[in-house]
Amino acid sequence: MTARDVLPIVVVVALLALIPPLVSSNTVLNFLVFTLIIALAAQGWNILGGYGGQYSFGHAVFFGTGAYATAVLQVHAGLNAWLTFGLGIAAGALVGFVIGFLSFRSGLRGSYFALVTLAFAEVFRIVANAAGLTGGAAGILIKLDVRPENFQFQSRGAFVWIGLGLVAAVLLATRAIERARFGAYLTAVRENEDAARALGVDPFRVKLAAITLSAAVTAAAGCLYAQYFLFLDANIAYGAWISVEALVAPIIGGIGTVFGPLVGALALQGLGHLTSHVAGEVPGIDLVVFGVLLIVMVAFAPEGIVGLLARLRRLGRRRPAEAT
Amino acid sequence: MKIASNTGEELSMSERPLNVSRRKFLQSSAAGAALAATGSVAMPGVLRAQAAPIKVGVLQPVTGALAYDGQQGRIGAELAIRDINAAGGIKALGGAKLEMVFGDARSTPEGGTQEVEKMQAAGVAAIVGGFASPICLATTQAAARYDLPYIVDVGVSDQIVKRGLKNTFRFGPGFGTVATQALDNLARINDAAGKPAKTVVLVHEDGLFGSGLAKLMAAELPKRGFEVLEMIAHPTPTRDMSNVALQIKAKNPDLVIPSSYYGEFVLLSRTMQQQRIRPKGIYAVLNGAASNFRFVKEFPEAANHVMDCNHWHDPRKPKALELRKEVEGKGNFWTYNIPMNYSAVLLLADAMERAKSADRAKIIEALAGSTFAGHIMPYGPTKFADGQNTGAAPVNTQVQGNDIKVIFPETFADAKPVFPVPA
Repeated sequence: MTARDVLPIVVVVALLALIPPLVSSNTVLNFLVFTLIIALAAQGWNILGGYGGQYSFGHAVFFGTGAYATAVLQVHAGLNAWLTFGLGIAAGALVGFVIGFLSFRSGLRGSYFALVTLAFAEVFRIVANAAGLTGGAAGILIKLDVRPENFQFQSRGAFVWIGLGLVAAVLLATRAIERARFGAYLTAVRENEDAARALGVDPFRVKLAAITLSAAVTAAAGCLYAQYFLFLDANIAYGAWISVEALVAPIIGGIGTVFGPLVGALALQGLGHLTSHVAGEVPGIDLVVFGVLLIVMVAFAPEGIVGLLARLRRLGRRRPAEAT
Repeated sequence: MKIASNTGEELSMSERPLNVSRRKFLQSSAAGAALAATGSVAMPGVLRAQAAPIKVGVLQPVTGALAYDGQQGRIGAELAIRDINAAGGIKALGGAKLEMVFGDARSTPEGGTQEVEKMQAAGVAAIVGGFASPICLATTQAAARYDLPYIVDVGVSDQIVKRGLKNTFRFGPGFGTVATQALDNLARINDAAGKPAKTVVLVHEDGLFGSGLAKLMAAELPKRGFEVLEMIAHPTPTRDMSNVALQIKAKNPDLVIPSSYYGEFVLLSRTMQQQRIRPKGIYAVLNGAASNFRFVKEFPEAANHVMDCNHWHDPRKPKALELRKEVEGKGNFWTYNIPMNYSAVLLLADAMERAKSADRAKIIEALAGSTFAGHIMPYGPTKFADGQNTGAAPVNTQVQGNDIKVIFPETFADAKPVFPVPA
């Protein structure tokens, strides 16, 4: 990685980090925390889906495992919240490893892999809905006790920084993967698995590493959700909504790019709130506007926002050249 | 700390100019003019401009899976605010009008939390609503950060009031109360009819509400002299109830106790009707359909004589009947969300009257000591213990001749139970 690789990340993160001291509106900060949670989940998806080409429809399984591990270990085992945060990420990674091992060993690709991940998420949701450990369908509550050692803060700004710190770490990690041998293997597997194998890449190991890492990142988003909202039930943790958010954000932002998930999450969540703000009284009209804009974006910017910006830049460069 | 001081500043900033003008006015005019604020024709315009409106947050899920319930709840809150304002606003505060700040919880806890933040920024004095338990759990907690009084309208999960949140008050009964009452009332109705029912089949959806209730029923019914023949679980949504109906037919129970949401229960009762399965009674608990006029209007035959233990208005209170007529006159169905939210807003207004302030801490204090009895629910006077209204209780309803009647307890009843159901 060179300074040129790191610089844009530092600039973007620094700009976002300036928001909490400058903006006192908790509405904005709350929005930012939620958006960062989605961005983190989407970054996880992007490692496996964007770079590795393995489209998962069930990233909720990792999000939920991280969230539940954090909550259950705090509530039932009485562990410290910071410790359970780490354990939640580890639990998510483990589930990712196991699901990856099972499905990649059986050679599942493309839509079959997507369906299997969807099924796993559903199974986890149903089990969590019935099990006693997770509080069943009544859900699980983390006790409100606002102290920094409990990973609970009075100011929303603290959560923005923690979320931002995690997002920044993953931005850097993704950039590092892009530049590393592992990233090249991953792209090779995405483009043509058989050709990659012929060149000596072990697709199974590469994909297994990618899904484990991807799961860990998405699990971190789940841990953060649990710690911020302090309440979980099976439909929140393992519901299809988070699988969709994790997948749509990179698609809108720019699939297989470092900034794609963050840009996508900011754009989508921002758009949602902006339209609801403008649309005002009529319930649901913002969702209609939101849907139309989504269709327009997918139709006219299939490479996402990052791809669109890159295309505009290329066009901008070409024009002066033509003029001379 | 920073947040608290910020909001304090915001509030005082917005209130100061108005307070000053009122004080000046009171100094220069007789106290009698102020007293006449509600009825005087001499200077109503001037006086109305005196008291700053009090913002009240109304939080309901009006988009997403719970949109229908949210809309109904909103109607109730809006009607209450309209009536309070028409009657002269909060009299202890110079006739200050209530102003609704509406928030759409989008049927999710995050959506609800975001709206609480918006309401906090708008400077509301209190929040009413939430509807679903997960939304209430998240939003009460978000409001607790600002010591913002929060009256839960429905949310039956007992966790809501078991977290020691000082700002949270639940007007309606919780799950535990409803379940015990349902069992006791069933036993009493059965005893009064000469114990015709001895055997029971439980049908339940497999979520929080259905399986929790079924488990409790299976444990408690034998103690009250009933034999549970079978427990049949089904997921939500389910699109075919033929198998469940056939299982019921095979067991031939005296009573069917379903705990399902609207769609599934409607399907089940219609399937039972088609297959001519006629138990001596269908006794639902907190059912989505059994106390719903849509079901009664659309499938009158399947709905007839279904009993339910649920939230319902007090049919002896003229105001409740008047509201029902008004709501139905506008083409809406009457559901329990309307009287519950109506009553919850009245409860809040009463607390403001007694607190003589729109200050949050004072409202919380007034709510905690509330003995409010002017609501339209079949509850006694309000009395909060740890945030739960101990006066709240469900009632038993029964569909009788295209109407939903209260059949139990007798003090609130406007009809006698039809049990066992005539074949």
